[in-house]
Amino acid sequence: MSPNDYEARRARLEPLLQSARTLVDPATERGRQARERLVRSSGLSIQGVELALSRCLETEPSEREVEALIRGTATAQVAHVLLSANVFVAAHRAIAIGLAASDTVCVRPSRREPEMAELLLSGAPNAFQLVSELAPHSGDRVWAYGSDETLDEIAVTLPPGVAFHGHGTGFGVAVLDGQLGQSSIEEALALLAEDVALFDQRGCLSPRVLLVMGGPPAAREIAEALAHALGELEERIPRGELEPAEAAQISRFRDTAHYAGEVFSAGLGFVSAGNDERWLLPPTGRNVHVLPSADPVRTLTPFGPLITSCAFAGDPALGSALRRALPRARSADFGAMQRPPFDGPVDRREA
Amino acid sequence: MTRNQRSDALHDAVQRFALGGSPHSFSDLALEIAQFQREFSAGFARLLEQRGGALGDVDRIPGVPSDAFRLTRVALHPDSEDQARFFTSGTTAGARGIHAFRRVDTYRTLALQFGRAALLAAEAPPLVVALAPRLDDPPSSSLGYMMAMFMADFERQPESATLAAERWLIDEQGVNVTGLMRAAEQALESKRDLIVLATSFALVALEDALAGRVVRAPGRTVVMQTGGFKGKSREVLPAELRASVARTFAIDPARIVSEYGMTELTSQLYDATLPGSALQAERRGSAGIYCEPPWLRVVPVDPISLEPVRPGEIGIGRIIDLGNVDSALAIQTEDRVRRVAGGIELLGRMPGATARGCSLSIEEFLAAQST
Repeated sequence: MSPNDYEARRARLEPLLQSARTLVDPATERGRQARERLVRSSGLSIQGVELALSRCLETEPSEREVEALIRGTATAQVAHVLLSANVFVAAHRAIAIGLAASDTVCVRPSRREPEMAELLLSGAPNAFQLVSELAPHSGDRVWAYGSDETLDEIAVTLPPGVAFHGHGTGFGVAVLDGQLGQSSIEEALALLAEDVALFDQRGCLSPRVLLVMGGPPAAREIAEALAHALGELEERIPRGELEPAEAAQISRFRDTAHYAGEVFSAGLGFVSAGNDERWLLPPTGRNVHVLPSADPVRTLTPFGPLITSCAFAGDPALGSALRRALPRARSADFGAMQRPPFDGPVDRREA
Repeated sequence: MTRNQRSDALHDAVQRFALGGSPHSFSDLALEIAQFQREFSAGFARLLEQRGGALGDVDRIPGVPSDAFRLTRVALHPDSEDQARFFTSGTTAGARGIHAFRRVDTYRTLALQFGRAALLAAEAPPLVVALAPRLDDPPSSSLGYMMAMFMADFERQPESATLAAERWLIDEQGVNVTGLMRAAEQALESKRDLIVLATSFALVALEDALAGRVVRAPGRTVVMQTGGFKGKSREVLPAELRASVARTFAIDPARIVSEYGMTELTSQLYDATLPGSALQAERRGSAGIYCEPPWLRVVPVDPISLEPVRPGEIGIGRIIDLGNVDSALAIQTEDRVRRVAGGIELLGRMPGATARGCSLSIEEFLAAQST
């Protein structure tokens, strides 16, 4: 890549970043409108939208991150971007990747959440175009984000010569050493509660499971403490609305968890504690399953292809072992699971 | 009384109830079993407790979600006392659950009592074959076990006769069409009815393998079809499948009897369409309306509150099965159901909160565990 090429690609990103910066500021008219529109489209509470904008929208990425994003993105005649619902800030990163690839970027917003792409475009006119359908041709690239089912449908309809980058479903996990000091554990759980609450847990990076290194009593104690942390957080950042299907899954899973082990109320959500390593993934909506694990690497390895993000607090050697065992998962600190570096797709498990 | 003594007494009472010689009502027995399970199942006690702990209304006995069978052992007795263990195949999901039975005689009594009523329409013993893989030993599939039981009982043969390979007409190569043709021929020659026990996806596979040909079978052939497609074949609407199977065997569509069962249950439901059957005589049902046996009740409940819905409204099925003495009396399914005149209408599985964005669904998680 020549310096000129790099600079041109870098320059295309700047209006987008500037647009994002003005959205974050609640004092501006754009910031005010953004909050109003995003509350409606996302179903999150106003406080939930605020938290997501202030914590997760990447307005000041380091030059190193931007360079990694540009160098890691293949160029295209036209970049086509299909956005997902649920994590509205993800539109920003996805469009940035498109801009790094091409000076012509077509973005099809999610029908459920069309607002963020429009908001970004209004602050960066002509940086990209919004389309209702993607129409790629040979030599173009398509970046698609969403359910595996959606990605499969798109992949089979692409004309020859179109490169496809699919980023599908997944979930985040957290691993905590139960032998850490009380204050460290409390701090970690407060941070984890934020990771869980962001986007009300509907993102592919959202943690759904916490592994506690220690026996069942330690896991139980930590499950109860996490429930407390989630309950406290909910007082400041209320949970958003649930769709009926989500609420039904929660009812069902809660009963399953009651039958199989213990359940702690966590505001409107819950934390379930398992007794062994047979586990099910809890539904979204601020619900976490906690299980003891003597060997997190062994517990998580079978689920490696599904795991997008892994937070760890404990012995650094085990942290390294987890990174080796889950090479395609983002490694994060507690409280930073929803804020991966702005260096490429959030999800490293390209289809 | 010890746990097992109480269990045995309940088993005996349920069997008597099924055979028509019991002084108890359904509600009496259900509440007695629920009380027994509260005392000996910590999981059920917890579930009950979080609903207020009362055991007064049968329709409000909390259902154990079928997912619980994948997550933990759902049994009141230790595994050393298991007489049989049936594994869930999973729907699209992979992690397998186990339904453990301390006594299989209750299973046999209940399954045969209602199976005979729904599937037999003649005095003379029929010839029974299964469009299913040969039963393994020990049996791990409740459906396979039931099919073998029907073969022996309906034909009045010893159980060993059900082991014959020619009765199980799915193998590594798929549907054994030649074997089915031979069985049909044999039934014609011996002037016996033919009963074909099949899953829906096996029937679709048969249709595909026949490619328009028909099976020359007795006009009084009965086809029992059960289950969904589970990703094992193309999906076909129930009415279409019924019509095409009727054409294949050149029989009246009323002779295709739908069965509804789950590994997590002991009992089954059938539609009451077969002319000459005891069930048809009693209930005069129509295709796709499933009749409950007297020892089982389907309660449509709201999927969020899990409270019974009003009569005629769609809910998800909570199934109270008196046969589940040693596991979970009430099973909470994800199947959408509606109570209609004559029985229960099945409306497919409740859509999950799945295809929204990139968060992994529970179903996807379970499916991935099998790969």
